[in-house]
Amino acid sequence: MWSYEKRLQYPVKINKTCPKTAQLIISQYGGPDGELSASMRYLAQRYSMPVKKVGGLLTDIGTEEINHMEIICAMVYQLTRNLTPEQAKTAGFDAYYIDHTSGLWPQAAAGVPFTALEFQSKGDAFADLYEDLAAEQKARTVYENLLRVIEDPDVRAPLKFLRAREIVHFQRFGEALEMTKEKLDSKNFYYFNPEFDKALLQKP
Amino acid sequence: MNSSDSCTCKSETLAMTTTPMQTWCDPYDLDTALGAGTIFPCLNLEFFLAKEKNSAVCGNPTLSAEDKLLTQIYQVSFGINDLTLYLDTHPDCEQGLSLFKELLRKRLDLLAEYAKTAHPLTQLSIVTGTPEATSYGWDDGPMPWEGGHN
Repeated sequence: MWSYEKRLQYPVKINKTCPKTAQLIISQYGGPDGELSASMRYLAQRYSMPVKKVGGLLTDIGTEEINHMEIICAMVYQLTRNLTPEQAKTAGFDAYYIDHTSGLWPQAAAGVPFTALEFQSKGDAFADLYEDLAAEQKARTVYENLLRVIEDPDVRAPLKFLRAREIVHFQRFGEALEMTKEKLDSKNFYYFNPEFDKALLQKP
Repeated sequence: MNSSDSCTCKSETLAMTTTPMQTWCDPYDLDTALGAGTIFPCLNLEFFLAKEKNSAVCGNPTLSAEDKLLTQIYQVSFGINDLTLYLDTHPDCEQGLSLFKELLRKRLDLLAEYAKTAHPLTQLSIVTGTPEATSYGWDDGPMPWEGGHN
């Protein structure tokens, strides 16, 4: 289960209203490589992981991704909470404003709604861990793309923090892959699916 | 090398990647770690367009005592977050484990102190920080997304 702590993992304090920036950053809420996708991906995959420690890691990274989703939402909120009707019309936030005013709703930068089709839970440890490794790399790219176009230091600091976490998570998923390999025969890692053909897995 | 050696096909390790396991490296101080997004210098791989040194919470001499405490909570808790993932894949690392436990203890004290001087951030700290309080407490203080305190 989860319990709430009344603070963000990294503080967000943005003074300058900027709906255009909000419209870009919202992709890391509901976009294809966003934090909502990330948390749902890891928290879905963990149940059937054949190595207990890997299930533990997916739980902890999936939990951290929820923290990251909250950071992104706080940023979008603070960038738009004082939106004027004039800014709503002209600042590149108009289409979103029509449907959601300045409420939070998970979508990609280009307006595509959040969907579970953005991630996979394949029931195969290698397939899932490679998906996770790729997901961290894609999210890193998004943060770098955001850092290329956003200048406000109040916005950049949390984006830099979130980018750094993608690299740490990538390393940990690589280590999880090694821990999974240890349980299998290196002559043929693909002889069976350790999440499904459980009878063939060496007991730890 | 004879001809039979040169065409020997060993499937071992083919079609599978290898990641080096991280070895322990002396961590950053907690202030630097939060700014860098990791406590481990060896995992701090900067982006060339984001090299400015900034920290949203640190180095501000005008912070109130309450905000200084909160800053420490951010830093210590982040150290715990990063160490948790490290220990998930390195459960036997003594240095990691000892720092993890030290930070967990520190965090418990900081949360209790913050509940006493400001408001509770966790429900547990309602009873550890303000055991005599008669009010609910959980609705005190700003919501985290307001950016009101840092």
